[in-house]
Amino acid sequence: MSTIYTVKDLKKTYRVGDVATEALRGIDLKIEQGEFTAIAGPSGSGKSTLLHLMGALDTPSSGEVWLSGRRIDRLAKPPSAQLRLWNIGFVFQAYNLIPVMSALENAAFVLELQGVGRRERESKALQALAALDMAEFADRRPNQLSGGQQQRVAVARALAADPQIILADEPTANLDSETGQSLIHYMQRLNTEQGVTFVFSTHDPRLLNQVTRIIRIEDGRIVQEEPVQAA
Amino acid sequence: MLTLAWRNLWRQRRRSLVTAGAVGTVVTLSILYYSLGGASTNSMYQSLTEGTGQIQVHVTGYRDLREFGTLLIEGAESVRAMIEASADGAEVIGVLEVPSLLAGEDRSRGIVLSGQDWTPALLDRFIDQSLSAGRFLEEDEFEGIVLGEALANALEVGLGDEVFAYAPGTEGFGAAAYTVVGLLDLLDANYEGRAAFIPLGAAQELAAPGAVTRFELHYPELVRLDQDTKIATVRDELRASLNDYSVESWQELNPSLVRLLDAIGPMMAALNIIFFILAGLLVINTIYLSLMERIHEFGIIISLGANGRKVMSMITLESVLLCVTGAVVGTGAGLAGVAYLSRGFTFPGLEEYYASFGLNPVFYASITPKQVLFSIAFALATGILAALWPASMAARLEPVEAMRFTT
Ligand SMILES: Nc1ncnc2c1ncn2[C@@H]1O[C@H](COP(=O)(O)OP(=O)(O)OP(=O)(O)O)[C@@H](O)[C@H]1O
Ligand SMILES: [Mg+2]
Repeated sequence: MSTIYTVKDLKKTYRVGDVATEALRGIDLKIEQGEFTAIAGPSGSGKSTLLHLMGALDTPSSGEVWLSGRRIDRLAKPPSAQLRLWNIGFVFQAYNLIPVMSALENAAFVLELQGVGRRERESKALQALAALDMAEFADRRPNQLSGGQQQRVAVARALAADPQIILADEPTANLDSETGQSLIHYMQRLNTEQGVTFVFSTHDPRLLNQVTRIIRIEDGRIVQEEPVQAA
Repeated sequence: MLTLAWRNLWRQRRRSLVTAGAVGTVVTLSILYYSLGGASTNSMYQSLTEGTGQIQVHVTGYRDLREFGTLLIEGAESVRAMIEASADGAEVIGVLEVPSLLAGEDRSRGIVLSGQDWTPALLDRFIDQSLSAGRFLEEDEFEGIVLGEALANALEVGLGDEVFAYAPGTEGFGAAAYTVVGLLDLLDANYEGRAAFIPLGAAQELAAPGAVTRFELHYPELVRLDQDTKIATVRDELRASLNDYSVESWQELNPSLVRLLDAIGPMMAALNIIFFILAGLLVINTIYLSLMERIHEFGIIISLGANGRKVMSMITLESVLLCVTGAVVGTGAGLAGVAYLSRGFTFPGLEEYYASFGLNPVFYASITPKQVLFSIAFALATGILAALWPASMAARLEPVEAMRFTT
């Protein structure tokens, strides 16, 4: 197994006017290829911040993030966009779909950015939607879908492009337990069958039962690391 | 991408329609404006060249000569033959202008009596526009004369009355009697008080056998300024073959009007640019507002890996689409307008004004495909330029910050 992520003494301080919030106070971690890792912690503990930094969406105040031997915490805009487009699949905390696009078009959007032709990207997107039981809603716009359905489209969008890493910020937060379970199972299947590395944040205890590794953070620090035996 | 741009524009339907409408209006105006500018230019060209011909031949230094005898081109027929030989397709008119005293029963006037032949086309138009009573002259008659109404009034003569012309100190008879056969209603009242026409042969008999004071070369098929290109060449050739005479093009004959004509192009371009800048500001505003409403969305798009160039092209595409849609509709409206105006129109209230310059007050709108393309290209450029600023702002958005942004 090779190391995908190496995070060294990562700190992030947000400043809003005179108020400074230390969202991350020194995070060190390694993530190996093929791991299925949950980052758990209470609200405001810094989960989203950590995932954003690992996804080269933001720059840390100090510390380093290495992805497959490449340092990615201080990338300029174009290479960081390139990295996100080709290497990482994102599922954001709030289901973030583009309102003027149908579910299918949303699910195919990353492929479209990659320049994949219409036919191919739509068939891949449809496959991803079908895996999440969303095929019948392919033509609906986001505002015609429930919160959970929108979240599944967002997951399908991340999956459709076959990234090697998926960073998911509370992917099941808006799902009922049944769809949450099926989403997890689908993610697990991708993990075991295709070796996709998953890092996701959650405070859903049912989810935590299914992962191989839990990293608990509180107040911007790792408080506990639990290697878990897969259920 | 195109459908996406459409849908985004359609989201704020009213705003997009207003903006596209503004661009369309500017394109319509610009097309109409070009066509009217073209109409004015062509009408000026036509009036100028109808009056003077495209080229004139005089004796050398004629502007400074005062004596009638020194102004004469003797042996006119052989000179005419030379002109016709080197100026292909031109209709050559000989004119003999005789300063003379014209007298009626009780009154007299000093005028310049104009003896000339006419091209059939010019004669038709002249009769059409100006002859108000009686008939015009036959080429070979010696007794008839046609007077401006104002001149006839001044001399207290009417149709069928006799007038006497005295042209002393010349080589011809020096005096002759004519019968008024026609009256002219001319646009320029001042000119009407001095206008008197007889055939060239009659004038030569009166004052200068076998001579003219000038030749005019008319190309009746040249009705638009852009067709005028060959005139300079013909003039230069004539200069070479007639080196004893002064050969001038219509531009050299009307320098001040030509300056006016030359200013039309740049003036139209300047106004056009101002129009498009105004429309462009509206487009910038529209694109900027739609960006502000969609910062969150652009945050997602950038987070998913769209680079700055992609984001800019998405926004630029919307702007261009907006402008081109407007331009297409505007072009349609503009061309319909031109089609309507090409049947001839006047500027109400300005007829007199144009007439006082000797210009034809009826205009015929015309536009070239190049000008239409120019207007559309302008709209396209407006779309691209207007998107530049909002698009570069969008390209610089920080993804996390933008995604947190909710309206
Ligand atoms: N852009 C920002 N500006 C200022 N403070 C911020 C910003 N983003 C996050 N924070 C603060 O940083 C801390 C960590 O936030 P973060 O979003 O990472 O938490 P989280 O663990 O994802 O919480 P949740 O479970 O509620 O999503 C919080 O105190 C939050 O208020
Ligand atoms: Mg969060």
